[in-house]
Amino acid sequence: MNRIQGYVVKVWPLFPAILYLVSFQFIVLIYLLVLSLTAAGEPGSFPTVSTFSQLFGDRQFWQALNNTIVFTVIGTPLELLVGLFTALLLYRSFFGRNLIRSMFLIPLAIPALVTAMLIYILFDYPGGHVNHLLLGNYPILPRLINAPVSWRASQFTAMMLSLIGKVWRDMPISMLILLTGFNTIDSEILDAAKTMGATLRHRLFTIILPLIIPSISIVLLLRSVEMWKEFIFPFVLAGRFRFLGTLIDYYYNDIGNPHSAAAVALVMVVCIITTSMVLSKVVSLMKKVMLAV
Amino acid sequence: MKMSRLDTMPSPMAVSKKLIWITGVVAAMVVVLGPVYLLVKYSVSDIASINTGGKPIPFWPYHPTVEVYRYLFRDRQFYVVLGNSFFIALSTVICSLLLGVPASYVLARFRIPGRKIILLGIISVRLFPDIASVIPIVEFFIRIGAHQTYWGVILAHTLLALPYVIFIGIGAFESIPEDLEHQAWVMGANRFQTFIKVLFPIAVPGLAAAAIYTFLLSWDEFVFVYFLTFGRQDMFTLTLYLNGLKYAEPQNLMAATSVCLSIPVIIFSMFVQRYMVSGITTGSIK
Repeated sequence: MNRIQGYVVKVWPLFPAILYLVSFQFIVLIYLLVLSLTAAGEPGSFPTVSTFSQLFGDRQFWQALNNTIVFTVIGTPLELLVGLFTALLLYRSFFGRNLIRSMFLIPLAIPALVTAMLIYILFDYPGGHVNHLLLGNYPILPRLINAPVSWRASQFTAMMLSLIGKVWRDMPISMLILLTGFNTIDSEILDAAKTMGATLRHRLFTIILPLIIPSISIVLLLRSVEMWKEFIFPFVLAGRFRFLGTLIDYYYNDIGNPHSAAAVALVMVVCIITTSMVLSKVVSLMKKVMLAV
Repeated sequence: MKMSRLDTMPSPMAVSKKLIWITGVVAAMVVVLGPVYLLVKYSVSDIASINTGGKPIPFWPYHPTVEVYRYLFRDRQFYVVLGNSFFIALSTVICSLLLGVPASYVLARFRIPGRKIILLGIISVRLFPDIASVIPIVEFFIRIGAHQTYWGVILAHTLLALPYVIFIGIGAFESIPEDLEHQAWVMGANRFQTFIKVLFPIAVPGLAAAAIYTFLLSWDEFVFVYFLTFGRQDMFTLTLYLNGLKYAEPQNLMAATSVCLSIPVIIFSMFVQRYMVSGITTGSIK
């Protein structure tokens, strides 16, 4: 008894914070379930799946799901590639490396909303910088389009803008994760391989890549979660071409239907969990294949 | 002598590799810094450099001016918005430090059972999508009367910041040798005194980073403050104010507000860069 008492006295400072996090998470899950399993306008109808059946019959939902899937499937590997590229640039030590690394971190220091606004301005129609650039109005680039493009007006280009914004802002995150991965590689192994005549491609595929697979898998996992739940870029740049995130906002604030909004949120959570599980499976498979080769 | 000079002479292959590398660095710099430059350029642009009537927009305004900044800082509404942002961010810092610092101390010092699970749980709270948890929280806040109130926003931001504070705090306390505490106890200090007089002062740099990080998180948070103050213009923070400018010309006003929103973040991010980097690599920051 005394031991337990002494123990509680020691660790009680932990309780308020844990209680705070746990109770909020509990509230979130309960409300999500109750809201989405109740029909809009019928308070006593819990539990019913009518909100979900309504949602699954809504074209807007499928459109949003489709947009988010495309965004995730293109965006996640894109962030990985951009991160790999910048991490490779910074991998070797050189004069001014820390300074350049700090500069590469700047996008992270810019609020996502500001990045979205900046892209909004740069891709303005008809007179933004990008339109002028592609029209060949600056000497640095020949004329590539014949008429200014209204970037935010079509589904494809609006999604492209969201993607550009997202990848630009989050580039430092994948870069840093991959850089730590690169730093775990023992340079002596690389030197040894070099001395024994391994080409760059050889070294890349047999030494570097297998060693940084853990970092790659972290990037893929974390980034795909971020892609699924993206809100701010499509909110500013893709307007009526909704993603799951902006569909929640539409149902809740524009239509005033918390039930459908909660149902979409639940779908999003399920998608995230499924993706993470599939990805970790793929990563462990990749590890096995790499080891076999 | 001659041999060694030959040794250090770069081979043609190395030179071309170096060229590729330099091109890569320069290109990346342009992509990273170019947009930032253009944002600042827009904020000091005169109207003629934005509405050019079909002529290409110049890369430096014809007549640079700080007129929009002057306009912003003469606008009463802008001060209300700044005040809201500061008030919410500072209160969030206080709440999350009060909750988070003691917790991180315990997690750093005691091998409590289930420590790993607690840490994992804290991270997973952070991975749960904001946009999915915002609806339940708004509905809950409507029920308890916290919707469209400052303390509602502060509670929500504390929820977002707490995992970071705990993680940065654990790092700060773990770096302090345990002997220090034991010595304080031997000399007759109790746990509370030890914490306040010995540990806390040493942990201050790390905790300051946590505070700055929390401040920034609240300062540029959008989702929660947007849903929680929906329809209450008088409670708008700087992010919501900027969002409201989206449909309004002129663009230099948008750019200037963006710069005002970004400057504290950029400056303070430099102070907490080290912590940000380690947070990102452990997965607690995104």
